[in-house]
Amino acid sequence: MELINNLLPHLVNGLSLGLLFALIAIGFMLIVGVMELINLAHGSLFALGAYVAMAIINPDLAWLGAMGAWYTELPLTARYIVGLAFAPALIAIVGFGIEICMRRTYGKDPLYGLLLTFGVALVIEELIRIIWGSGEQIMPTPDAIGGAFLFGGMIYSKYRFFSAGFATAVIIAVWLFLQKTPYGAIIKAGAHDSEMVRALGINLTLLRLFVFGFGASLAAIAGIVLTPIWGLRPHVGVDVVVPAFLIIVLGGIGSFWGAVIASLLVGLTVGVTGAYASEWSLMSMYLLLIAVVTFRARGLFGKKSVLEA
Amino acid sequence: MSTKLNTSRRKMLKGMGVASVGTVGAFFGPWQHNRMYASAADKPIKIGITSDASGQYANSGASDRRGMMMAINEANANGGVLGRQIVAQHIDTETTPATGSRVAERLITREECGFLIGAVSSGVANAISQVAQKYGCIYLNTNSSSPTESGKNKHRVKFVWDGNGRNFAQAAVKNAVNAYGTKWLLLTNDYVWGHNTSNATRSLVDQFGGEIIDEIMVPQGTRDFSSFLLKVQQAAPEVVAAAVGGDDQKAMRQQVAQLGLGSKMAWINNQQDWPDIYGLPIENLFGVFGTTWYYKLDLPGVAEFVERYQAAYPETRMKVPGNVFYNGYVATKSLLNAIEAAGSTNNIMIIKQLEGLKVSAQDRMQHHDAWINPKTHQMQQTIYLATANAGTEDPDDVFSVVSQSAPTDVADMKAEEEGQLESYEDTPTFDA
Repeated sequence: MELINNLLPHLVNGLSLGLLFALIAIGFMLIVGVMELINLAHGSLFALGAYVAMAIINPDLAWLGAMGAWYTELPLTARYIVGLAFAPALIAIVGFGIEICMRRTYGKDPLYGLLLTFGVALVIEELIRIIWGSGEQIMPTPDAIGGAFLFGGMIYSKYRFFSAGFATAVIIAVWLFLQKTPYGAIIKAGAHDSEMVRALGINLTLLRLFVFGFGASLAAIAGIVLTPIWGLRPHVGVDVVVPAFLIIVLGGIGSFWGAVIASLLVGLTVGVTGAYASEWSLMSMYLLLIAVVTFRARGLFGKKSVLEA
Repeated sequence: MSTKLNTSRRKMLKGMGVASVGTVGAFFGPWQHNRMYASAADKPIKIGITSDASGQYANSGASDRRGMMMAINEANANGGVLGRQIVAQHIDTETTPATGSRVAERLITREECGFLIGAVSSGVANAISQVAQKYGCIYLNTNSSSPTESGKNKHRVKFVWDGNGRNFAQAAVKNAVNAYGTKWLLLTNDYVWGHNTSNATRSLVDQFGGEIIDEIMVPQGTRDFSSFLLKVQQAAPEVVAAAVGGDDQKAMRQQVAQLGLGSKMAWINNQQDWPDIYGLPIENLFGVFGTTWYYKLDLPGVAEFVERYQAAYPETRMKVPGNVFYNGYVATKSLLNAIEAAGSTNNIMIIKQLEGLKVSAQDRMQHHDAWINPKTHQMQQTIYLATANAGTEDPDDVFSVVSQSAPTDVADMKAEEEGQLESYEDTPTFDA
């Protein structure tokens, strides 16, 4: 009984961490699935989204006079909602720009796309340094989701539960979009066989543009939600790319639920290892990947390759 | 009209052979201990800056660099050293030991730097110092605080400017055991600085009657501390001694503050670097922590030093200098003074100057006189304990200094027993 009482908080914590990992991974997964491109700029878009949201939530609008004062005097909750809505939209536009730059690499060695997104990641990180400086920043959050609460003799962060709930809502919304709308059907078809989609008269160029923008906006949402926990600094995105890549490989490239379940598994593994063998907590996710890939090379929910037939 | 060369193929081959042997010998022969370059009086003295511009300690590296550059610029404005201007060259060490080695090798052999300065990560500092010792190049470890730097990894060419984990632990542990309780939990970054600092804390806690109930190892690069903080709560210690640095520490502070755990138990943070907390909300600055300097110390010269910083770096986000900047500045200034005092750029002569270095409290802007321990090459200096300046209106004035300890009270006695400095004879000599 004591073991269960000790373990339970860590299981709950691991699941909440897994949901946050899923939020990071799904945008990355969409781009890999449809465009067969490992977007190394995903982490930088994550960071840029957070910085842009911070600028929207706490702007310096003295130059706008009365209008600026009106906005800055709005309650923090209102400004937070504005940031959460508009920053991902702005990052989607950045994503459109990157996709347009990517077009010359389609059909060529995948290394070109990889290098281009790596270059974009460096440019975005430097831009962040130039605009916001290299020091630590604080992402403001409304008081209602700040602070802590006591449960079962343990203190939990309210924000952590808010972020896990928000991540769940985003995952469900993305799934509904992919599953229940014609646009989602086109994206899924594009991930399955993009040439067939083109043959059916669907504008593949527009599809890729949309998917890249959508993936970028999901990265931004993850950045806004996670940086109040991880902290906000120009290179915070570096911490994102590796787990995102690991999760989509573990879940099976192109599989939505594979990515979600892999995220939960990674969260649980890291969370529980952190409690009982803390020095292995970061390493544990890599060991999990090795264990799964050894027995199932295409990941948990990856489609069977023609090579395996 | 053509002129026939009066030589044969055999003679030519002989000549080429002699030339080749001579060239190879110049690099590998008995001359290797007597490198000499750029020593002409009109040539500038080149200093290689080995600070991090990326990775975990990028922010502290920038602050460290600003300190060095202010000292160099001030010296150049006063006519240089030994009548020679000082030129600095920086290469990013990326908070990575392997990069540190590569950068040191390049700065010494290709850029012909006569001195190396800079470090925040102890792993990087150790890597740089191994290369520096190979060439006899004087290296100032400005800001890394692992006791191993002046202990088992000490080198004849390396001088350590920051207080180390043992100094800070000695300043904090005895008082904390008496004031907060005997049940201690260690939260330790899983790398060289964390391990050594935690070992120092552990032995002092034992010495003063405390008990370590658990130690949680935090892998470097950890961003999510939730499972560790749950475990801390389950262990219910009276004191948490954290040796977590850089970005890891920033993430930890944020998450501890979110939980309000900072006030639920006593937190001893071994050392708190100014760039790591500058601009953070005051509630993130919980517990007691060590530092070697604070910009509001009520001592002669401090206010004027702050003004010079603000004049030199008006655009910097950090409006006031912190301990990392201070260490970078005083280390560089001490090196330049030592070169001047030696009257030479010969490395051995300068090493001997630094080994005998004594700096008055007034010149150091600290409470006590400071000196280099010739057996460990570590600066013996005043150690301050501070806590958050609750209720302050000034966004920069976030520390409240609660105590200061004389260097003799916090001396790292074990460092003298660990490792051994190379002899002068085994250290390559050259003029920079």
